[in-house]
Amino acid sequence: MSEFAIFNAHPTVAVQAESPLAISRTTVATAATPEGAGVCLRERALLGHLILRGSFADEAFRTGVEAALGVPLPQSMGRVSRDAARGVSVQWMSPDEWLVVVPPGEDYAVELRLRQALSGHYAVMQVSGAQTLLELSGPAAREVLMKSAGYDFHPRNFPVGKGISTTFAKSTAVIRRVGEAEWELIIRRSFADYLYRWLLDASEEFGIFVAR
Amino acid sequence: MSQRNRLGAGGRIDRKRPLRFTFNGVSYQGYAGDTLASALMANGVDVLNRSFKYARPRGLVTAGADEPNAIVQLGASEAGQVPNVRATQQALYEGLVAKSTNGWPNVDRDLMGVIGKLGGQFMPPGFYYKTFMSPASAWPKYEQYIRKAAGLGRSPIENDPDIYDHMNHHCDVLVVGAGPAGLAAALAAGRSGARVIVCDEQEEMGGSLLDSREQIDGKPATEWVAAVLAELAALPDVLVLPRTTANGYHDHNFVTLHQRRTEHLADVAPAADGRRQVRARMHKVRAGRVVLATGTHERPLVYARNDVPGNLVAGAVSTYIRRFGVIPGQRLVLSTSNDHAYRAALDWHDAGREVVAIVDARERPDGDLVAAARSRNIRIITGSAVIEALGKKRVSAAIVGAIDIDGFSVKGSTQELACDTIASSGGYSPVVHLAAHTGRRPVWREDILGFVSGGVPGQIPAGGVAGRWSLADALGDGFESGARAAAEAGLSTRSFTPPTVAPVREGKPVALYQVPHTKPTMRAPKQFVDQQNDVTAAGIELATREGFESIEHVKRYTGLGFGTDQGKLGNINGMAIAARVTGQTIPDTGTTVFRPNYTPITFGAIAGRHCDEFFDPRRYTALQGWHVERGAKFEEVGQWMRPWYFPQGKESMHDAVQRECSAVRERVGILDASTLGKIEIQGKDAREFLNRLYTNAWTKLEPGKCRYGLMCKDDGMVMDDGVTACLAENHFHMTTTTGGAAGVLDWMELWHQTEWPELEVYFNSTTDHWAAMTITGPNARKLLAELTDIDMSNEAFAYMDCREAKVAGVPARIFRISFTGELSFEVNVQANYAMHVWKALFEQGDKHGLTPYGTETMHVLRAEKGFIIIGQETDGSVTPEDLGMQWCVGYKKPYSWIGRRALSRPDTKRSDRKQLVGLKPLDPQLVLQEGAQIVLEKEIRIPMPMVGHVTSSYFSPTLGHGFALALLKGGSQRIGQTVFLPMADGKVHAAEVVSPVFYDPQGARQHV
Repeated sequence: MSEFAIFNAHPTVAVQAESPLAISRTTVATAATPEGAGVCLRERALLGHLILRGSFADEAFRTGVEAALGVPLPQSMGRVSRDAARGVSVQWMSPDEWLVVVPPGEDYAVELRLRQALSGHYAVMQVSGAQTLLELSGPAAREVLMKSAGYDFHPRNFPVGKGISTTFAKSTAVIRRVGEAEWELIIRRSFADYLYRWLLDASEEFGIFVAR
Repeated sequence: MSQRNRLGAGGRIDRKRPLRFTFNGVSYQGYAGDTLASALMANGVDVLNRSFKYARPRGLVTAGADEPNAIVQLGASEAGQVPNVRATQQALYEGLVAKSTNGWPNVDRDLMGVIGKLGGQFMPPGFYYKTFMSPASAWPKYEQYIRKAAGLGRSPIENDPDIYDHMNHHCDVLVVGAGPAGLAAALAAGRSGARVIVCDEQEEMGGSLLDSREQIDGKPATEWVAAVLAELAALPDVLVLPRTTANGYHDHNFVTLHQRRTEHLADVAPAADGRRQVRARMHKVRAGRVVLATGTHERPLVYARNDVPGNLVAGAVSTYIRRFGVIPGQRLVLSTSNDHAYRAALDWHDAGREVVAIVDARERPDGDLVAAARSRNIRIITGSAVIEALGKKRVSAAIVGAIDIDGFSVKGSTQELACDTIASSGGYSPVVHLAAHTGRRPVWREDILGFVSGGVPGQIPAGGVAGRWSLADALGDGFESGARAAAEAGLSTRSFTPPTVAPVREGKPVALYQVPHTKPTMRAPKQFVDQQNDVTAAGIELATREGFESIEHVKRYTGLGFGTDQGKLGNINGMAIAARVTGQTIPDTGTTVFRPNYTPITFGAIAGRHCDEFFDPRRYTALQGWHVERGAKFEEVGQWMRPWYFPQGKESMHDAVQRECSAVRERVGILDASTLGKIEIQGKDAREFLNRLYTNAWTKLEPGKCRYGLMCKDDGMVMDDGVTACLAENHFHMTTTTGGAAGVLDWMELWHQTEWPELEVYFNSTTDHWAAMTITGPNARKLLAELTDIDMSNEAFAYMDCREAKVAGVPARIFRISFTGELSFEVNVQANYAMHVWKALFEQGDKHGLTPYGTETMHVLRAEKGFIIIGQETDGSVTPEDLGMQWCVGYKKPYSWIGRRALSRPDTKRSDRKQLVGLKPLDPQLVLQEGAQIVLEKEIRIPMPMVGHVTSSYFSPTLGHGFALALLKGGSQRIGQTVFLPMADGKVHAAEVVSPVFYDPQGARQHV
């Protein structure tokens, strides 16, 4: 009897997958090109998202995660380990919780690698269908964040590389700063349409370009 | 009418940019840079309003936020109406339309003026309370009339087309006020590298420097302002917010700033580059330190008929002349208790108009400004004051007399000086409102005759608000405070040499508030303290005589300090009068409490974008697009939008639900069940955790099996239910109610983290990860078999089994569970693939009669089976046994579980508790009202014992009659009895008490 039911959610035949934003419509005037737009918004749809639970104090857990993911397990609030080339990131979410984001379709393989490398008290949970990632960039991106969340997004408090989870409008978002004016938002599927329209609305005054 | 009071030169207006505007239907012209007030003054419009209570004609008194009279209704269109705008704070723009808020039918011919005249005797404080008290039933009528007569501004009756929003900030130093102290503080803090926000409520930053006679570094003060603003603009971490009022000061230096972004442009925000602009923005600032540089408000003197248009505070005269190039009249009399107010006379004289006299309450004034007046041969009458103004709609003369301040009397004879303007100054009150919002009481300083901040942690008052009057002091204090604030916020600062300012020697002021009259206060003509609320010195005296001695009581009895100006102009004078008549000192009398907002702000800015489509998030499932296309009607379940029913053509809800119910009972239906809460549970102690969390036992549930579970709170009352599947030995998939999902996860974390941390188990919400589709009805197996790669037979896939399979090529977890009582499969797929599977089911489903159904049909079907819904059959006072679900309570479990102890109390074992039953109305067509109360006797008397209520009620097409679930006292013992349901319309319905399971009591249909 196996301890865990490992489930590959992905079909092996060609099936149309739909991101949470499939139904969302642009409700404000958008720019035709990114040039001159204060804010650019782009969905990175259908990525692999996993929740990893375990104890940072457990060395076997730490080394196991690093071996499976190829990036070190971040130790404290705000830390994100990232291998940009492979599209893998691991973000500290709470004292025993991390968010792992991997390229589309790789979540099952990553879960297998993690389960192979780990033992004892840990958990790997699939949330790939539960959330989506938005890239928010441009000179006014920070102001859009300031209109949406109470957290301090100033570079002094939010250097490139940092990631947090916080209230966002009337929902929540994981927010990561990946460049000087480049941010990632990870939002929940069921709130995605609300937050997408919120972001477009908040960005309108700065000029918003929605990338495909 | 030409701008007859406009000066030929000077001021910060642009005479090359004329602007047209309308006031009370008359068209006028002003200039860019004007406020509405300065433009009206330029056009010689004296009467701007009628007063609140006495309907007296009123004109401009100040040039700022403290203005009591020039309150207008703004807006050219109905949707753009803004009430209670201070004309002194409203920038002029092309096409501006304003009206007096008061005056009926208009300010010049005011019907209320008749009553106003009578009011001298007949409208004392408390007039409304005393006059309109009875009969109480008539109050709405009185109120309607009083309201119209009082004529405060009105709200628009059309929707506001503009958008408002919020923005969050964190900064090291927030500087409130951009006068000399504020600008110096912002500069000092900004140069240190601190994150600085500096805001100012006016159109232009600079504060008193914009109308100052003084020079900084040998140049006009405005040049220094421009240089500082340029430097601040170039600093990357300094945010300069003009037209922005710090409206509320909350604990921990959380300050809200109300920024008016387009109100200087038009009454409705114009688009910019084709994009909507935000009309007003509420900045929510969390500041490390706040430098309060809010300056002072000048106090007018309280003398008889001081409300006749043409009576102004002295500083406003200088502001209008020097900043706006407009002069209030031809001939000025200045009445003052201090040197500083001499500026008004000097500016008036230098503008080429006549200063009739300066009337100084002091015997021997001798400062630099006094000398400047003497050198211009301006007549100075010492030891005296203006004791009364003459004129009706405009000042025609001032009556001046020598006064004995200590004796509160006029000495000897008086003289009448012809003039059209009286400026007065009784000193300067620090603007301590923001220092008092958090609850600190201001502290009186006798040396400056004003209240200062009582000290707020993290707040540094600088300049005028700290009682540092002179320009040199204010600048020095500003630099020092800014540097100190930055240093306290952790930045290293350097010292600066403040700019040089030639010192101005000012003599000592005298404490003068109410000016004595030849008659006693109660008999003298009205001496106004608070013009906006028509509060007079006599009114305050009367209030104290009637026993309202506390200043808070005086405020409420007289109205002192209410309204848009919140006592900015009159409060200190009022306190001084209350102190005088009660024989107390001013600090003993104290102040009333200042509260947010500092000046009125629009509701739009408070709501921000949290309105209309953003008022509350709407959560959608992965199948939302299909539901919309199919014409579903939606029901809000928490924040979720769930299909309620799917009408075909013009079908009514009743017909649609009957059709959907029949389809499930006879063929096959499909429900989007994705909103159900889902929690993944992993860990070697997962099973033990479930044993403790649920009332029933989980030890023997094998992998591949599902079980229904009930959760109680520790009080033994049912809190949630759902099916949990054992996926593998240490791996469970829990479902919760749609509305309970987040609460259940929190509940689990609470018990795990605080009570049982030793259990090795982790939980995570997977509600959004899985899309769930319930395929239910006699044809469910046939339909799924065509799309599924596993054996769907009853032998291979039994009731309460869970299986992995591919459905339409997509990996799925299928739970064979039933909430309808029919053969039922719940297909769960990763949400991104849900639409594909759902559409594939419909492609195959036609021949099986696949029918989408919504939550209403779901409710009917489950109620026919007596299945409960948390929150409908339960209300936090219902135990599992009350629901007849003792089969779901595991008293034999070895370890205790949540609610067990409470369920062993005698109260939870009573046999007469409300218990779940079915009700069958004797009239088969009747659908009982949910919530209807149950009684045991047909003859209704009041009061009579109520023994229960209807929890769910529907019409069942399957049963052919209405039916209901109910909670009934001792219900399980009343099966077969008839009970009665009295309705509000007097009808009394009768129903038979039956088992709550109406359909297929053996459960045969779900086991096929």
